Amino acid sequence: MIRRSLRSGRVIAGGLIVLAVLACALAAPWLAPHDPDEQNLLTTLLPASWQAGGDPAYWLGTDSLGRDVLSRLLFGARVAMSVALIAAFGAMIVGAALAYLAGYVGGWLDWLVGRAVDVWMSFPPVILSLILMTGLGTGLRNVILAIVLVDWTRFCRVLRSEVIVVARRDYVAAARLVGFSHWRTVSREIVPATIPLVVTLLTLEMGIAVVVEAILSFVGLGVRSDQIAWGQMIADGRDAIYQAPWNLLAPVLAIFFTVAGFNLLGDGLRRSLDVRMTEGRE
Amino acid sequence: MTVLRAEALSVALRQGGAEIPVLNRIDLALAPGRVLGLVGESGAGKSMIGRTVAQLLPPHFAVSGGKLEFAGRDLVSMPPRARRALLGREIAFIPQEPLTALNPVRTIGSQFAEHFARLGEGDHRARTVAALEAVHLPDPAGLLARYPHQLSGGMCQRVLIAMAFASRPKLVVADEPTTALDVTIQARIMELMQEMRARDGTAVLFITHDLRLAAQVCDDIAVLYAGSVVEQGPAAAVLGGPRHPYTRCLQLAIPAMTGPRRALLALPEQMPGLRAMTTLRGCRFAPRCPLAAEQCRAAPPPLGTEDHRAACFRAELTPTIAPPEETLATHIQPGNPVLDVAGLGKRFRTGSLFRPGHMDAVSEASLAIASGEFVAVVGESGSGKSTLGRLLVGLERPTAGRILLAGRDVTAGTEADRRHRVRNVQMVFQDPQSALNPRRRVAAIMTQAMEAVGAPAAERARRAAELLAEMGLAPETGARSPAQLSGGQRQRVNIARALCTVPPLLVADEIVSGLDVSVQAQLLNLLRRLRAELDFALLFISHDLAVVRHVCDRVLVMHRGRIVEHGPTEQVFAAPRHEYTRTLLDSMPKDFPMA
Repeated sequence: MIRRSLRSGRVIAGGLIVLAVLACALAAPWLAPHDPDEQNLLTTLLPASWQAGGDPAYWLGTDSLGRDVLSRLLFGARVAMSVALIAAFGAMIVGAALAYLAGYVGGWLDWLVGRAVDVWMSFPPVILSLILMTGLGTGLRNVILAIVLVDWTRFCRVLRSEVIVVARRDYVAAARLVGFSHWRTVSREIVPATIPLVVTLLTLEMGIAVVVEAILSFVGLGVRSDQIAWGQMIADGRDAIYQAPWNLLAPVLAIFFTVAGFNLLGDGLRRSLDVRMTEGRE
Repeated sequence: MTVLRAEALSVALRQGGAEIPVLNRIDLALAPGRVLGLVGESGAGKSMIGRTVAQLLPPHFAVSGGKLEFAGRDLVSMPPRARRALLGREIAFIPQEPLTALNPVRTIGSQFAEHFARLGEGDHRARTVAALEAVHLPDPAGLLARYPHQLSGGMCQRVLIAMAFASRPKLVVADEPTTALDVTIQARIMELMQEMRARDGTAVLFITHDLRLAAQVCDDIAVLYAGSVVEQGPAAAVLGGPRHPYTRCLQLAIPAMTGPRRALLALPEQMPGLRAMTTLRGCRFAPRCPLAAEQCRAAPPPLGTEDHRAACFRAELTPTIAPPEETLATHIQPGNPVLDVAGLGKRFRTGSLFRPGHMDAVSEASLAIASGEFVAVVGESGSGKSTLGRLLVGLERPTAGRILLAGRDVTAGTEADRRHRVRNVQMVFQDPQSALNPRRRVAAIMTQAMEAVGAPAAERARRAAELLAEMGLAPETGARSPAQLSGGQRQRVNIARALCTVPPLLVADEIVSGLDVSVQAQLLNLLRRLRAELDFALLFISHDLAVVRHVCDRVLVMHRGRIVEHGPTEQVFAAPRHEYTRTLLDSMPKDFPMA
C-alpha cells in the first residue's frame, strides 16, 4: 500500500512540498539570516533585494518595523506547521472516536452523533471559529482548540458512513462469533479497513488548518501578537503593498504552497489507497 | 436457413501489445425456432459469445478472426449504425440481473414507450398491455405506472422478456436469465420463454451454467471449456451419452435428485486462466482430465464434423469415467441433542413512528438437532431460512420462543450466553468475499478463534497447518491473503475458521451457491469427509434441493417464515406432504438419464 502510493506523482510532489515547509519550520533558527523580532527603524519597508532600492542583507525586504521578512516567513512556518499537525490530529481523534462508536454501535447513539454533527455543521465554520476565539482568547493553544472543535465533524461524518459499510461485512460478524470482544473487533477488523480514509482526511485537514489559522491571525484573533504567523504578516503587509510588495506576497505564497502541498498529498493518497479507484487499474 | 452462424469465430484480449485468445475458433449454427444452449463453468467464454453477438465486448476485447453472421449478414464487418439498428429489433437480450437492467427512476410504461418509439411503432399502450399479458403478468394496465423497485425479481424478468419479444425478434440471447431467481419462478420463466419462442418462431441462444436446466430447455447444446467448444450436438445426445470427458465429469459432479446417493466426481483444481491457456500446447482440458494421455498434451484434438461431435482423441473411453466409490458411511447414529428450538419467532419492525408495521421473518419455528446430524433448511428467498440461521448463532435476537443450545438456554443473548455460543456453535457465511477480511493472512483468519482467547503464536501456527491439511489446501496457502485464492479455496478457509475449535454445531448459510459445479462437488465431498473425521452437527441452509439431498439426513422446508414440512430427506423428497414442498420439487429441472 505504501509502495503503491509512492508511485503516485501527486503523493511525491505534495510530500516534497510538505517536507520542505516542515524542514524550514524546524531549522528556522539556523536558516534565518536575522532575528525575526529584531527591529531596525532605519531600514523600514525595504523592497526585495533584487528590486530598486533593495538591500542584499534583507533578501525579501523588511516590514514597517524594519524586521527581516524572510526570517519572519521561516519562523511563521513554525506556527503554521504546529497548528496543521496538532489541530488535524486533534480533530481526527475526536471525530474518529465518535465515528467508530456511532458506526459500530448504531441505534440511538448513531442518531445522537449524527444529529450533533448536523447541528454543528449548520454553523459557518469560519464564523464559528471566530466566535470560539473571542470566547477563548488568543494564543496558539486556543487556535488549535478552536480548529479541533470546529472540524471534528468533517472526520466524523465521512468516517461514520465508511465504518457502517465495513461493520456490515460478514467478517466482522464472524469475528464476533469466534469470540472477539467489541474492542478487539473494532481495533482488528474495522479500524485497519478505514485507515486509508483516515490518512487521506488527515492530510486534507492539515491544509484546512493552515488556512483557518491564517484567517484567525489575519483578523487578529489568532496567536498572540508577539508570535509570528503568516496571517499577521499579511495583515501588516497590506498597507505597504506598493513600497514593499513582498511583505504581502511572501506569506500569501507560503500559505498557497503549503496548502497546495497538503491537498496534492491528500488527493494522491486518496487515489492510491482507495480500493474503488485502484481496482480498474490492477 | 440459419439465424445465427459463427465460423471459426475468435475473440482476443489485447493487453500491452500481446494478444491473449479468449474464444478459440467457435463454430455455431442456430436455426429459427431452435434453442441452442451454451453451457460451461465460469470463465469458459460462454457469456463472451453472447456479448460478441450483442457487440457488448468489454474494453480491449475484440474479434480477432472468423465470421459471425446474423440472417446472412456479417455482424463483425457491419457498420456500427446498421448493427445498432438490428439490436433490440431483430436481436433481443434477456439479461441476468433483471433489477439492474431496468431504469429505476422510470415507470414500466415509459420504458416500454421508449422501446416502441425506437422500433418506430405507434399505439404503444395497447401493444404494451398485450405484451405484458403475454407473459402472464397480473393487471398489466396497472403495471404501466409502477416502478421497477415495486416489482419482484421474477416480475421484472417477465417484463424484460415481454420487452425482448415485443419486437418479434429473430434471435433472443438469454444470458443466465434465471440464475438470480428462485426455482419456482425459474420454472415459470422457462415455460414462458418456450411459449414466446413457439409463438414467433424465435431462435434462442441460451447461456447457462446449469446442465440440468439446459437439458430441459435446449434443442442443441455446445459445451465450452477454456474458450473452446469441446462438445456439440443435439441436447439429448450430448447429455444422454456425453463423448467428451469434461461433459461427463460435469454430469458426475452434479448431485442427483432421484436414485441412490452416489459420491460426486470432483475434478482436480480449476479451469486455467486466460494467460495460462496460451502456454498449453495440447488439449486445454488435459491437465484435469482423467483420461489424458501423451497424445492429448502434444496437440489440441479436432472437434470433427459429425452431428454429435467432441474434441477428444479418446472419446470412446469417456463412458468409462465412473464416479468414485461411495466409501463414507452416510448414516451416522445421532447422539444427544445439541440444539432444541421451540416456537422461535423474529418480528422486524417496519414502517415509521406514526404508521408502525411489522414483518414476521420467522414464526413458530421448532426444531431439534442431535450431535453428528446433518439437517437442511430449504426454502426460497424471503422464506426466513437465513434469519433462522442468524437467530441460532446470535446475530439476531429472537422476539418469541426459546433456543436451547448444548443444554443451556441462550435465548436472552447475555454476555454469558455469548461465551457459551462461542464454544458451541459457529457459522459459515455465504459469500467468502465478504466473510474473509482481505487484510489478513489465511492462517490468521483460520485461527481467529484462538486469537480471541490469546493462544500463543506457535500453537496457532500448528493448528493452522492442521486445518490447511484437513481442508485439502497446500501448506503455503496459509501465508496468502484471501484475494490471492480462488472462490473454492476461499470457501474452504471460510469453513476452516468455523471448524477451528470443532464446535458441536455448525450453521452453514448457502455455502455452495454461486460456485461452479466442479468446485461445488469438491466442497460437498469435503463436508462429507469432515463429517466422518470430526464430530459436529450441521444445519445446512440452501435453496438447492439436489445439494441438500446429497448432504443431509433430514430436511426442513420453510415457506414465508414457517417450517411447513420436515422429515428424513429421502422421505420428504419421495412423498412430499405439504403442497409447497411439492411445488418446489416439481420446479426443479429433472435429472438427465445417465449412461
